[in-house]
Amino acid sequence: MFACRLKVDGSGASIAGPVGDFVGALAERAGLATRPAYWLRLAADEITTNIVQHGYRGRDGVVDLEGGVDADALYLRIEDDAPAFDPRAYDPAPRLAVPPSVRELGGYGLMLALGKVDEFRYQYVGGRNRNTLIMRLTTSGEAHGGVDAERAGGV
Amino acid sequence: MAFKVRMQIEGSTATIRLEGELDGRSAPELNELVVRAADQRVERLVLLLEELSYMSSAGIRSLVFAHQKMPEEAEILLVGTQPDVAETIRLTGFDRSIVMRETLEA
Repeated sequence: MFACRLKVDGSGASIAGPVGDFVGALAERAGLATRPAYWLRLAADEITTNIVQHGYRGRDGVVDLEGGVDADALYLRIEDDAPAFDPRAYDPAPRLAVPPSVRELGGYGLMLALGKVDEFRYQYVGGRNRNTLIMRLTTSGEAHGGVDAERAGGV
Repeated sequence: MAFKVRMQIEGSTATIRLEGELDGRSAPELNELVVRAADQRVERLVLLLEELSYMSSAGIRSLVFAHQKMPEEAEILLVGTQPDVAETIRLTGFDRSIVMRETLEA
């Protein structure tokens, strides 16, 4: 199991750097292929950024990340003490229906976070938000479709 | 990976080359250049993305910002976008508002 605790200092400073480093190391240790590792990192980046900006809203706080491999999947659990918020309740459809020239600038993060992970779970446990991101691994330890997907993607 | 961005304006075209990772930390640098390009009233904004390895929603916001800052008839062209970055843009539906090409000459 891998774990880290990030303190949000309330200044609005980005925690994308340490989150990216942590998730990169977790994915490598779990043997996750490059492309699913990219999407896991993006999801973690978006969820944690959302916690800092909209959960804590400029207040100090803590974001806990814990990850590991359980059976045939990599899991990443992200917890915070901000008010209860279930990212699955966010509906991007109205925003996408508006032409970009008049769209609001934000609101894409959660759509990206939930769009490419194999499974996303949310619970409110003991006064904390718990977001769990899951990427399945094959029996060989490599994410399904990883090699083919990389080939198909080209450069 | 460290983020690097630089811009050249020639005639009515602004060309911005991005390298590294475009996220919440680096997006403000791109936005500054977009504002400068828009102030020059360029008709074409070319973003060279061959060396851009990561884009979060902060990068998508920068693209929407560029779309709104540039004159309505201006063209925004993304060149050499890597597959995961291109997929990120597609997921937000923004690919319908810009042109994406593999090479500048294509």
